[in-house]
This record gives sequence, C-alpha cells and structure tokens, in this order.
Amino acid sequence: MAPVLRAKRITKRFPGVVALSDVSFDLEPGEIHSICGENGAGKSTLIKLLSGIHPHGGYEGALEVDGREARFASTADAEAAGIAVIYQELALVPEMTSAENIFLGAEPVRGGLIDHDAMLKGARELLDRFGLKLDPNVRTGDLGVGQQQLLEILKALRKESRVLILDEPTAALAEHEVGLLLDILRDLKRRGIACVYISHKLDEVFAISDRITVLRDGSTVGTWDAKAASKAEVIRHMVGREIKDFFPRRAKTPGEPRLRTEGLTVAAPDGRVLVRDVGFEVRAGEVLGIGGLLGAGRSELLLHLAGVWGERTKGRVLLDGKPLEAGRPWETIGRGLVLVTEDRRRWGLFAEQGVGFNLSLSSLKGLLIDEDAELSANREMSAALKVKAASLETPVGGLSGGNQQKVVIGRALGTDPKVVLLDEPTRGIDVGAKLEVYEIVNRLTDAGKAVVLVSSELPELLGMSDRIVMLHEGAVGGTFDRGAAQEALLAAAMGAA
Amino acid sequence: MTRALGREAVIGLALAAVAGFFAFQSPEFLGARNLSMLAIELSVTAVLALGMFLIILTGQIDLSAGSGVGLIGGIASVLVFHQHWPAPAALAAAFAAAVLIWLVMGALVVRERMPSFIVTLGGLLIFKGVFWLVIRSATVPVAPGGTQNVYSRLTTYYLPPWLGLAAAAAGAIAWAWARFSAESRRREHGFEAESRELTFLKVFLVSQAAFLFVLIMNRFRGVPLPAVTLAAVTFGVSMLTKRTPFGRYLYAIGGNTEAAVVSGIPVERVVIAAYGLMGAIVAITGFMQTAYGGASTTTVGELMELDAVAACVIGGTSLRGGRGTAAGVLMGALIMAVLLNGMTLLAVSPEFKLIARGVVLTLSVWLDSSRSA
Repeated sequence: MAPVLRAKRITKRFPGVVALSDVSFDLEPGEIHSICGENGAGKSTLIKLLSGIHPHGGYEGALEVDGREARFASTADAEAAGIAVIYQELALVPEMTSAENIFLGAEPVRGGLIDHDAMLKGARELLDRFGLKLDPNVRTGDLGVGQQQLLEILKALRKESRVLILDEPTAALAEHEVGLLLDILRDLKRRGIACVYISHKLDEVFAISDRITVLRDGSTVGTWDAKAASKAEVIRHMVGREIKDFFPRRAKTPGEPRLRTEGLTVAAPDGRVLVRDVGFEVRAGEVLGIGGLLGAGRSELLLHLAGVWGERTKGRVLLDGKPLEAGRPWETIGRGLVLVTEDRRRWGLFAEQGVGFNLSLSSLKGLLIDEDAELSANREMSAALKVKAASLETPVGGLSGGNQQKVVIGRALGTDPKVVLLDEPTRGIDVGAKLEVYEIVNRLTDAGKAVVLVSSELPELLGMSDRIVMLHEGAVGGTFDRGAAQEALLAAAMGAA
Repeated sequence: MTRALGREAVIGLALAAVAGFFAFQSPEFLGARNLSMLAIELSVTAVLALGMFLIILTGQIDLSAGSGVGLIGGIASVLVFHQHWPAPAALAAAFAAAVLIWLVMGALVVRERMPSFIVTLGGLLIFKGVFWLVIRSATVPVAPGGTQNVYSRLTTYYLPPWLGLAAAAAGAIAWAWARFSAESRRREHGFEAESRELTFLKVFLVSQAAFLFVLIMNRFRGVPLPAVTLAAVTFGVSMLTKRTPFGRYLYAIGGNTEAAVVSGIPVERVVIAAYGLMGAIVAITGFMQTAYGGASTTTVGELMELDAVAACVIGGTSLRGGRGTAAGVLMGALIMAVLLNGMTLLAVSPEFKLIARGVVLTLSVWLDSSRSA
C-alpha cells in the first residue's frame, strides 16, 4: 500500500536561508510518526509544506498523497486531501459553544439560517464516535485547555481528515490530559487515521510513535523504528554537530555578585506559572547562559527580571544585594539592569523612528534634551557597535536584522548598566553580525558588567557562557560549566537529566 | 524628507484652493474684519487640535474635548455671572477642574485598561449633560451686562498696533536665530543640512507672512489676543514634543507601546500626564470659545473634537500614534478654520455644513490609513 502522505526530496529556501534541504518523509496509513529536532531544525517549515501554507511551486521536490503527486495551492487544498493540522496555539472561539466551534465555517444551514439542531446532533455523533465526555452546549472558554485541545482534534475529524498533524499538542496540557490525548491518538490509529506528531518531550514521543524521524539543520538525519531506538541515540542525532571555534569568548575572573534570584516563581496574567523556583547568581565580568526548549520560560524569566512582565508569586531578586521590585521597569533600568528582548519588532524597535531616536530613548534626562550631548552620545554608540545606516536619522525599520539588533543593544548600553540581559541576541542575523554581537558581549564583561545570555542554540550557549542554567518547564533542569556536553544540556532541557 | 515636503505642498495647495474659492465667492472673505475673525476662530480650533495632537501621538483619542469646551467655559460663566466670583478666580477654578477631570480619564484609560474611545465617548455625553445642568440650559454671559472682565477680554482684547509689530519682529528674529543655529549644528554633526540660502528663504517668507498678518490685523483692531495665545500654545507644544524627554516618550508610546515599556518609559504616567495637558488645553479653548460667543449656550463646543481630530490628521498626525508635528497640526487647523469660516460667510445651511465637516473628517482619515497601509 502506498504511503498516505509522502514528502520526496524537498528543498525549501527563504531569502538567505535554506530551511529544508533534500528532506524526505513518509507516513503509512494508521501510523504515528514523530518528527524530532532542535529549534530551527526545520520542523515548522516541513509542517507548513505538508499543510499547504507554503504552496506548491515555492519548493523543490514533491508531495504525494496516496502515491499521487499533490500540489497544494493553499491550506484548503490540503484540507480537501484529508490533511488537518492542529497547532500549538488553539484556534477556537472562546465565546462559542463546543458544537459551534466544531462546525465553525461549515455550519449546517436550513432556509438561510443556522440549523442548531442538526449542528448539535452532528456534534453528539462525533463525540460518541470517539467516546468523549464533553457537553456540546458548554461555552468553549469554560473548558480546560486539555478539553479544548480535544475539541480542536474533533474539528479536524469532522472534516473527515485521514492525516492529523499535531505540533507540540501537549505544551499546555497537564499530566492526565496528556494521557487522555495519547489514548485518543491510539484510538484514531486503530481507525486508520495517520498522525504526524511533533513534540519536544521524548517520553511522549517514545510512548506513542511507530517511527521517529530526526531533522537537524534542515536535513533528515534518519528515520528509526521507535522500538529499536533509544532516547540517548535520538538526542545525539538531534545535536549532531561539533562546536567549531566560532565563539571568541574571553573569560575572566568573575568579581562581585551582581544579580541573584532566590526561589523565583512567576505567574502569567492568566495565572499559569511559567517560572518555578528559579535560583541563580551572576557576577561582574561573567556570562551566565540560560538554555531550554521553546516554552521553557526563558524569555518570561528575563522579561520578569526587567520588570515588564508577570506576577512574582514567590521568591526574590537581588541586584547588588538589594531587593529588586517587580513591575517597575524604569526603576530597574535606573538601578542598572537592562534587557535586550528577543522579539525585536515587538519589544524593541520604534521602526518608523530614526537610529538616533532609538539609541537614546532609554537615557534621556532632565527637562530639556541637550541635543548636542545626545548627538555625540549617539554617534559614539553607533560607531562603537558598528551600526551600518546612512545617518542617525535613517528609520530603523529599513535596516538589516543585525543592525536593528545592534541599535536595540545600543539603547540598552546607553543606560550604563551593570547587568545586561540578552534574549536570543543573534536570532535572525547573519554570521558576521553574530560575531560582532559576541565581541560586544566580551567587551561588556571586560568592562566588569554581568551578562545573562539566553539562547536556543546550544553551541552558542556553550561557546559564549561561563556557566549555563538549563530550564525545563519553568524550573532549573540543571546547571553546567563551560565544558559540558551538548547531550547533557539537551537532556536537562527535556527533563531527562 | 521629500515625502514630508510633498505633504506640506499638498496641504498648501488644498489651503490655497479652499481660500481661493471662498475669496472668489465672497469678496468679504479677504476683508480685514473677516480675517480678524478668522484669526480668532483659527486660534480656538488650533489650540484644541494641538492638545488633541498630544493625545493622538500616544495612540489614544479624546472624543470628549468638544463637550468639555462647553462645560469648562460654562462653569466659569456661572461662577462669574451667577456666583459673582471675580473672573480670574472663576477661570482658575474651572481650569483646575478641567485638569483634574482629564487626569481621571487618563487614569481610567491606562490603569483600568479601558479603550480611550469609550472612556471619552462616555465623557462626551456626561460633560454635555453636566454642562446643561450647570447653565440650566440657559444663556449665561461671560460678564455681567455691558461690563468687561478678564474672561470677556480673552477674545475682545487686541494688541496695540506697535506692540503687534514689535512682537512680530521679536518672533521673527528669535525664529531666524533658532533656525540658523539648528542648521549649523546639523552641519557640524555631519547631517544633511539645507543650504543657507534655502534656510534664509524660509525664514524670510515666514517673517514676511508674520508681518503681513500683523499689518492686516492692524487695519482692523490689531492682533487679537487669541492669536497670541495660539502662538504661545504652539511654541509650548512644539518644544514639548521636540525637545523634552516627555515628548520623545509620547512618540515612543504611540510607535510601539511594548518597546516603550521595555525601554524604561513610565508609560502609564506619561499617558495620564498627556491627558492632564489636554484638560488644560480644553479649559483654555473653552474660555476662548465661550468668550468669543459672549455667553455660554447649550451648543458651545459642539463637534469641536471632530474638527480637532480632522486638523491633526490633515496635518499628518497618524491615528495609530507615533507620528506627526505641531506645525502640521497648525496647517490642518488652518484648513478647518478657513472651511468653517467660509461656509458661514456663504450662509451655507447647517445641513450642508455638517455634511462638509463629515466629508473632510472621513477624507482625512482615509488619507491617513492609505498612507500607513
């Protein structure tokens, strides 16, 4: 029998990046096939190809459904071929009932009006078919996250899907909900529905998969029978590469403790605890690396330390030995702690404004701006960081990613900080700019500043940090020295240490 | 830069077209008497628009400004006419009330996270109702019969001709000095600076316009006090937005609120302060508009908030926040004032006046959204 879904030698390029290179993948009917890989390995790109978000014509290679070539022009084509994707972020309308959500966009109609009876009946049938205990009349927002996840799956099954693609479906689920989800997937498997399963949690992957494919840097490393493979093996394949001599870290003897957290626990505005009992210390002249998988709470930790996010439910933060209050970013900056955020467009840039405006914004003082002093400070900073822009008045929105990042870093450094938090400072910038950012980190520690560096790239973390804390689901999964093995870091990040 | 110049040229052409049309239709339009009235009307519209500009820069809006103009003027009128307060005390009390009310609205917007659209729409209705209660839906003069006080003189005082000329001269010299030193500083710092000839030409033209304005005003009664008020408010708002950290923060908050928070800007305090300034400007506008009519009546201030929004947007202020200049707002207000004054001269019926205001408002916002798209 032909595979229900197959990707043959796919290469997908984005400007300046090869996201997938000669990737092959196939899915047998009734099979659960997991895809594993580090952040940026190409998993999301592959899903977007399989689901028609990246349409035919934009890649090399071919997709096949039931052995025939499929050319998806849109997600609608993929849906028509029986492929449904369930994303990490739910696409449900909280104010609607379960039944309304299941039939969203395909409401049964009688005489031009929605036929609520038919909708309810259809929803009940679906629920019964999969043995789910869920009231189709209940408001969706009142359901738990796990039940909402199930609702998403029902929505997909209503469309008579034969292939389900689940992208980190358990990221927001509690333990018992995960069990329920896995049971349902096994049940679907018995009914001949195939499933592509993507998760960072290797326990789940091994519990449910028939086969496992590992992607690394946009290429297929290999596909293994889940029963024949071991977790350690899969982690090794995910990491794969050697650390090259790419990171010019100049370590020095650390000085005074600068920033210290004790039992820090932080909750999101919706009450979910995203940082749990985190304790660490950074000294002057030291780089503390913080790693972890997506959703491990790294960015949340940094945003909280900078005073801009989350409620501190427990623990405390000390800056130079004195407590640092939460929720007062202007005071935090005044005390010498500054954050360079991960998402530059959202949290960092004033895209319409010029380089100068962006550079000096955090360090304006007094009643009237001293324009001469501001100009010379901006020129110095932009020269020191090698910002390439036509002038200080060039809007930053049009600069390259690397130059934008340097401008955001420049604004932070302009406040003359003691502690600098860098969240993914090299994401989305080219290799040359990365080296310049590493050099900036070195200069900061040379000048006696403490640096906290968050990165998804393990080689970068190992190459640039003096010590490393790996976070796993908001808590410290392990603390390592500079010489630690990538496998050990990844194991700590996956909670398998 | 070229785009900004293009925009200024478009505004200038539109203004010339509108003014030319009215001048052609009604010979009175260019008469000294009407131009003097136009100067007062422009001052009232523009002062309010400059306040609205501060709010819109942060990405918020104030729909209650027009009702507030009526209410704050009404409070002062009642204190003077019914309560027999001295006019300065009445003005001071009404001014303080305005600042307080707008601070509260600002706090509701940022601390309670209510959309400013709704908070100020509620304000629009509440202030209008309170206004009518305060003046008992009657006409309340700004000064007891036949007398003059500080309140009534706000729009009936005219600078003596020599003082008007002296002020224009002082203003022109100060402005020329500021321009030349700014340009030479730009050159010193290696920025693209305009040629000295161009700077001179601009300074020359603007000074000429200022003297022409004073000469025309002197042919009637002299420069009206509201024009001086407008000059002061324009100077203040211009300095505030260009030269103070507070002004930079307004642009930053409107441009990207989340980045502003991370940059250590006390976003909530800044927005509340902007509303406080708006309250002060509503009070000044309310006093001038009421004094201009001679009394508080139920319709004072009606729809003025929309003229102010239109003036901002015509002048290049983005409704999404983060973009615009005080000079642009002044130009936008000039177009709105000319339009309203001209239609009154031509005795356009209220129906068509409403329609024309609506069309201009919609067109200007359409320009804004097509620009940002």
